Amino acid sequence: MPLLIDQKVVADDHWVRVDDTEQLAQLGNNPAILAWELFSQQRDELLAADGELAVAIPNDLDVVELEPLLERLSVIAVDFPSFADGRAFSQARLLRRAGFKGQIRASGDVTRDRLRFMHRCGIDAMEIAEDRFSPEMLGAFGEISVNNQGAEDDPRPIYRQ
Amino acid sequence: MYQYSEQDQRLIEERVEQYRDQTQRYLAGQIPEEEFRILRLQNGLYFQRHAPMLRVAINYGLMSSRQMRMLAKISRDYDKNYVHFTTRQNVQFNWPEMEKVPDILAELATVQMHAIQTSGSCIRSVTSDQFAGVVAGEIEDPRPWSEIIRQWAALHPEFAYLPRKFKIAVTGCEQDRAATQVHDIGVRLTKNDAGEVGFEVLVGGGLGRTPMIGKVIREFLPQQDLLSYLEAILRVYNLLGRRDNKYKARIKILVDSMGAEAFGAKVEAEWEQIRDTELKLTQAEIDRVKADFALPAYAADAASGSSYDEKLNSDQDFAVWIERNTFDHKVPGYRAVTLTLKGLLKAPGDVTDVQLDAIADLADQYNFGEVRSTHEQNLVFANINQADLYPLWQALVELDLARPVVGTINDMIVCPGLDFCSLANAETLSVSRQIQQKFDDLDYLYDLGEIKLKLSGCINACAHHHVGHIGILGVDKNGESYYQITLGGSSASDASLGKVLGKSIPRDDVASTLEKILSVFVEIREEGERFIDTVRRVGNKPFKERVYAAVN
Ligand code: SF4
Repeated sequence: MPLLIDQKVVADDHWVRVDDTEQLAQLGNNPAILAWELFSQQRDELLAADGELAVAIPNDLDVVELEPLLERLSVIAVDFPSFADGRAFSQARLLRRAGFKGQIRASGDVTRDRLRFMHRCGIDAMEIAEDRFSPEMLGAFGEISVNNQGAEDDPRPIYRQ
Repeated sequence: MYQYSEQDQRLIEERVEQYRDQTQRYLAGQIPEEEFRILRLQNGLYFQRHAPMLRVAINYGLMSSRQMRMLAKISRDYDKNYVHFTTRQNVQFNWPEMEKVPDILAELATVQMHAIQTSGSCIRSVTSDQFAGVVAGEIEDPRPWSEIIRQWAALHPEFAYLPRKFKIAVTGCEQDRAATQVHDIGVRLTKNDAGEVGFEVLVGGGLGRTPMIGKVIREFLPQQDLLSYLEAILRVYNLLGRRDNKYKARIKILVDSMGAEAFGAKVEAEWEQIRDTELKLTQAEIDRVKADFALPAYAADAASGSSYDEKLNSDQDFAVWIERNTFDHKVPGYRAVTLTLKGLLKAPGDVTDVQLDAIADLADQYNFGEVRSTHEQNLVFANINQADLYPLWQALVELDLARPVVGTINDMIVCPGLDFCSLANAETLSVSRQIQQKFDDLDYLYDLGEIKLKLSGCINACAHHHVGHIGILGVDKNGESYYQITLGGSSASDASLGKVLGKSIPRDDVASTLEKILSVFVEIREEGERFIDTVRRVGNKPFKERVYAAVN
């Protein structure tokens, strides 16, 4: 699946998705983004182990629950179950506000016409479905050059710029 | 009126090109139907019963004559020579071609107009009081604050995909002409005990399927915290609002299910986190925006001439129009004038291109080049020197914009209904014609006094029928249009929701049913009572008895 990081297409993604215990058992030392439910079940062992940690959260999770983990997580994948479901925009902003410095990755129904909003909300990586990817989609980031509101890319509203 | 900065202009121009590209990608099959639907809605384009409909923002109802001429031009070049003013002070083109919409938007952008967020599940265009800035007793002009909110809401990256549409209204006045109690957020300018001006904030009002009156969650919000507080409300709603059922997705349902207090507490907790950030408004910004709403240069001697009084005494029709269609102004010698878009047998809110151009000329001649649109689907010239009232009236009579019916049952608010709207269950325009024909005797209308009649073609309640003194809701019964009547609603400061009178009635009986209701009113009203007062005093019962009396 094509992946954008910092507004560029990246060739290979070293993260794999892991949703259940079986996949987890086969994983070995490969870096994985763990489904939140799975992570929660094995939280203590996972936190105690070495290596990078990443989770994929559902969009109805109160991100306060992640706050104790932010230092420890490299990637948080937020979910857009439908392109029209905008909860993850707010989740991403709250995670950045709580000080998360790692990657926030949009997954799900992620397509061109929301990329700029995602970027502004602090989402720096986007997984794009193969059939919706085209290299021109990077143009989406530059379509509008005026930001009336402060957001995660620039906290200053227009009246402080 | 607010003058676009270079960035404001760039933003709307870039938005046009972005939308043009989206349209082209859709036509090339690169955007699925459902996805484009939401993109076009966020830019005001509906696909209606017969053709697309483009809704253009008139932010808080304020336009320049130049903008008005552009509306006229677009209606000529791309549409059928008329436009329709809506109950949220916006304007609609009913017949544009989808492929031409980007060109229309590009033309609109040349006069600082746009269609950004006039539809869709996002923060909609902000509405306000049509008499803002000119009424006596106003705490402060609400328009600069409406403009500040508009800028914050425009292309807000976090709130473009909310659970449902989101409407904000701002009022600066005790007499609430902006219906703040039936909006998702109502912002009311207020003064605290220390005499500082700030805002009272209401949430969770709304009409539609589950009408509710908004609840105050903050009694006093300091001015500079306006945007951080709105952002906190929107964030809580974006995260917690229901998305599983579109009829339960408005913020009113969330506020109702959590309880206003618990919802308010969540908002306050979020607000604590962001109130002292860069979101805080700067005094420089407040001053900059306010400067654009400075009042025009009024003539100091406006009150001194005698021609106005002479005409009032000598021309009865003029005097009636003054009484009905004009409004007191805070500056002596000036009045605010309502141009009624309720021409006999025309769709309420419709204006032709010829009228638009003529209105623009009159605005230049008499009203400092400004026109306002109202929630009641009329237009307003807010600053008329009394010496100009007579010639202005004569010109408006020629244009069929001076019917002296403001506030009467003939000044009804009507949505487009089955003739245009793809969501409609029933006709509305034929019914409004029927009512106008039945009640064409002006003396009878005046005797009835103030009656707010609101007619919606479906439960979405675009005409706000729940808060009409008389509300009429069109329903479908086996393919026939039927109408349910409610009495006792109001969107003024004493807001209330109307109560259903009884079973719905067939289309041909609407006007005669109103006649029965009004005859009861005339019989039982007490001295000085308006219709709404009588209904509040006696309830629906006597009206119901007359309307549903067995025919014998
Ligand atoms: S109330 Fe219903 S019929 Fe009327 S405009 Fe709204 S959606 Fe259409």
